[in-house]
Amino acid sequence: MIAVIVFWTLAVITVLSAMITAFSRNIVYSAFALLGSFAGVAGIYLLLGADFLFIIQIFIYIGGILVVTIFAVMLTQGVADMNISNRIVGLIPAALIALLAGAVMLEAILRTPWPHPGTAALNPTTHAIGNAFLGPFLLPFEIASVVLLAALIGAIVISRQAARAEA
Amino acid sequence: MNTLNLANLGFAWLPLLPLIAVAVGAAIILLVGVRLEDEDSAGLGILALGVLLVSFVCTLFTIGVNAEAFGGALLTDDYTAFFEIVIQAAAAISVALSLDYAADNGLAGAEYYSLVLFAVLGMMLMAAAGDLIIVFLGLETMSIAVYALAGFVRREARSSEAALKYFLLGAFSTGFLLYGIALIYGATGTVHLDGIRAAIVARAASQPYLELGVGLMVIGFGFKVAAAPFHAWTPDAYEGAPTPITAFMATGVKLAAFASFVRVFMIYLGPAAAQWSGVLWVLAALTMTVGNVVALVQDNIKRMLAYSAIAHAGYALVGMTAAGSAAAVLYYLVAYAFATLGAFAVVIVLERRATAGLRIADYRGLAQTRPGLAAAMTLFMLSLTGVPPLAGFVGKLYVFAAAVDSGHVPLVVIAVINSAISAYYYIGVIVAMYMQEGTPEIEPSGASPGVLIGVAIAALAVVLIGIAPTPYMNAARDAFAAAAGPPAQATAFAR
Amino acid sequence: MQAWLDSLIARGAFGPHPSPDLIYGAAIAIACALVLFLVAVPFASIVTWVERRVWARIQSRIGPNRVGPNGFLQWLADGFKHICKEDVVPAEADAPLFRLAPYLVVLAFILPWAVMPFASSLILADLNIGILYITAVPALTVIGILMAGWASNNKWSLIGGIRSAAQIISYEIPAGLAIFPVVLMTGTLSMQGIIRAQGWAPDRWFLFANPFCFVAAVILFISGLAENNRTPFDLPEAESELVAGFATEYSSMRYLFFFMAEWGNMFIAAAIVVTLFLGGWQFPAIVQSPRLMNLLQLATFMLKCLFLVFVSMWIRGTLPRVRIDQMMSLCWKYFVPISFINLLGTAVWVAIFPDGNRFTQWLMLSFGVAVVLLFLARVVAFTRRARMELYFHPTI
Repeated sequence: MIAVIVFWTLAVITVLSAMITAFSRNIVYSAFALLGSFAGVAGIYLLLGADFLFIIQIFIYIGGILVVTIFAVMLTQGVADMNISNRIVGLIPAALIALLAGAVMLEAILRTPWPHPGTAALNPTTHAIGNAFLGPFLLPFEIASVVLLAALIGAIVISRQAARAEA
Repeated sequence: MNTLNLANLGFAWLPLLPLIAVAVGAAIILLVGVRLEDEDSAGLGILALGVLLVSFVCTLFTIGVNAEAFGGALLTDDYTAFFEIVIQAAAAISVALSLDYAADNGLAGAEYYSLVLFAVLGMMLMAAAGDLIIVFLGLETMSIAVYALAGFVRREARSSEAALKYFLLGAFSTGFLLYGIALIYGATGTVHLDGIRAAIVARAASQPYLELGVGLMVIGFGFKVAAAPFHAWTPDAYEGAPTPITAFMATGVKLAAFASFVRVFMIYLGPAAAQWSGVLWVLAALTMTVGNVVALVQDNIKRMLAYSAIAHAGYALVGMTAAGSAAAVLYYLVAYAFATLGAFAVVIVLERRATAGLRIADYRGLAQTRPGLAAAMTLFMLSLTGVPPLAGFVGKLYVFAAAVDSGHVPLVVIAVINSAISAYYYIGVIVAMYMQEGTPEIEPSGASPGVLIGVAIAALAVVLIGIAPTPYMNAARDAFAAAAGPPAQATAFAR
Repeated sequence: MQAWLDSLIARGAFGPHPSPDLIYGAAIAIACALVLFLVAVPFASIVTWVERRVWARIQSRIGPNRVGPNGFLQWLADGFKHICKEDVVPAEADAPLFRLAPYLVVLAFILPWAVMPFASSLILADLNIGILYITAVPALTVIGILMAGWASNNKWSLIGGIRSAAQIISYEIPAGLAIFPVVLMTGTLSMQGIIRAQGWAPDRWFLFANPFCFVAAVILFISGLAENNRTPFDLPEAESELVAGFATEYSSMRYLFFFMAEWGNMFIAAAIVVTLFLGGWQFPAIVQSPRLMNLLQLATFMLKCLFLVFVSMWIRGTLPRVRIDQMMSLCWKYFVPISFINLLGTAVWVAIFPDGNRFTQWLMLSFGVAVVLLFLARVVAFTRRARMELYFHPTI
């Protein structure tokens, strides 16, 4: 019972924040509203008993991605008083696509026979995750570091050459 | 305290060696590059070629080995080896094309070549992937490296535009793919491809989620192979990227995406073919038609080749709708790759700074000034059209024959009509070179040895694969058979 | 705490089929609120008085000594004064964000107290990811500071906010990496687990377990200073350049919130170092009564933490502010690579000596003692020339 209340509270926070992110006319509000989505998702992870995922969600998404996003938004000139003139042009197709996608997802949700979940206990998951990373998922774990290295080099190349062109 | 025992993880060096060679090579190039000026980048290019050669030799050792590593995450079979070799060849030719291009255009050497090698690593992973996580990670490694490469010429707005468009749409499509993977995982409870197949065969998979997941994965792969209606990024990205990278994108990226697409769909999602072959049918018809019709009105050769690349993705998709034609798709992709690499090599010769020399009109009279280049370009154009006895013709023949065999006659009719349409713009280039007056300007640096060697190799490949198709077709058939069959000595090898 | 809740659950205090996790969660939330009002806020406030007194001595002044004995009640006077001030929201400011920002900062300073290991049984929630939690949650501070900087609609505030965020997310990396040597050695992320793996005597502290840990402890402490915008890394509120940084436009209680969070975070940073490297609450078992034992442990833990807080004040009173490029290069060019080497070195060390190496521990300890003795010798040498009656007379 309490779990249901907590779930719905978190779900409402998550979805409302996501809606502010999507619909706010002020992009700074959009960026800050992500905090609610990320925190809500973290809360749902905790509710599911995934403690490590919960803390990593806070670490990476709130502490990393959100901060960098807000950074990028703030450092963009005149970002608050940007005026999108042809807002209505995108609205109707967007609504149509959203409706269509929503209908498809709803249909899939209704047709799926959901297995009944057991009660989630707050068991420590960190050891299991660590063993999985150095066990069956060793390869993805290593490849992920290559992805990050490539992304780092790519980011440096693009930004550094920009600086050189200005100089 | 637990000790890490690599043998227990199914850790095997052999299937990893080609990948390790490329990754270590990329790191070495970065480290060497710190000590070099940007002007010395050609040496780094030679180093990159050496790395690719080492990786190629490593791949040769894996031919005939049929095994899986990391609990099925990495499949070492002839299918993997086939695509690894083709990808290495495409990358090597792209690097050869870059040797002088990069120096002329002031592209920082070490980062450029190491990003190419990272992209190759991602592509090879996609070809070898035995689970969806590796498919995704390979795709990301490849894509991120190529996004940066597309935007490498910072002083040109077009290059930045290319990178931005490619990045935004690519990131979006990766999202689709990842969401599809998540839903398939939800439906079947595993990310391992053979586990997914087993779940589908045993009807243990949750149907709605499986359908949704497969649909989203089609969109994700459709973006990467540039199938209509997910092709919108292609012309701009191909036009704005540095030309050697365009060649790399049009061949390497497409080969890797198809390698993964064919393996995941035709082999492991094969039991669920009823749910996706219809979608691919529509995609194939749409892609061919859009690509060819829009290519008709292009006057920029890079854009024309971009639409041609879209159209050829459509022909390959025709092969994917037919159950028995995977080997034909493999053969077709090889034929397409060499012709496209050659065509872009010729484009580099004529291209000058500030993107001049890229109009088809600039090719007028090339037959008088550079008859050899004109002849090679003619070969590539004819092969892309599908004129016998060149590789493109044989490829189309195999693909269409297989499609007819599985009863997709209307689709083949559409494909043949499209081939006829494509003849107009391919032969337009030949007409400009041979029958129209003009003096194409060629900067001496454009026709550098690297580029000319690239043209020669591509021309040779197009002719050889076309005249004597049997060994290559057999290789493709063996490759597909190896991938489709059960991994026999898997456990024995992994220890 | 958990045992007590378990007994309540067993007696049916929460209905027939309660979910234990949620009850723990609710209990933690309530306890956090209590901690906020009863411990954290007064503590952070008292620290302001200590800090002002300490600085005064360092600068050869007397400091606040009028309100209460030796000025001890100065913090109450300050707090009362701030509450009575008008809460100004600038006309051009982004009012909702401007109002929200201080609460986020305070939230980030309250949440870590949930896993603060005061004594062997004095901890609100011994989460099995405690050490990650206590390093991850302060990330909320960054969001609050960025929000304050943006919402103030003022150049000084914005620059201060951006500087602060850049500083915090940069130093989070060496700080995070400096934790891992200890996690590698203990194999746990729980605060209590890490403390239990150490002993009361300094030779059993992780600070002296091996050379890598020593370096990690130093990096962690300095990163803690930087993450809390403390001197010499107080660029976000650099008075001479940025007025008061992100807090420029704030007044009244909201202004106080920012500084309360800063002083509170100082204690949290010290507590992390104490837990990981200085043996936490470990105290020799000289009494039988668990209650008395817990009190002794609490005193040990608080003394160690307060000592580190004192060191941080001392640094603030002594060192000049660094330039922003110096700060960034210290982080990225020195701390991050050194942290990686540390991690690798510890991994090798643990592989070679799974149970630690007594000889190294003694060697490291004697090194530490030598450093302290050398320092004391210098102090003695300098105080001979100084005015002793001012320095060593704490109750002027």
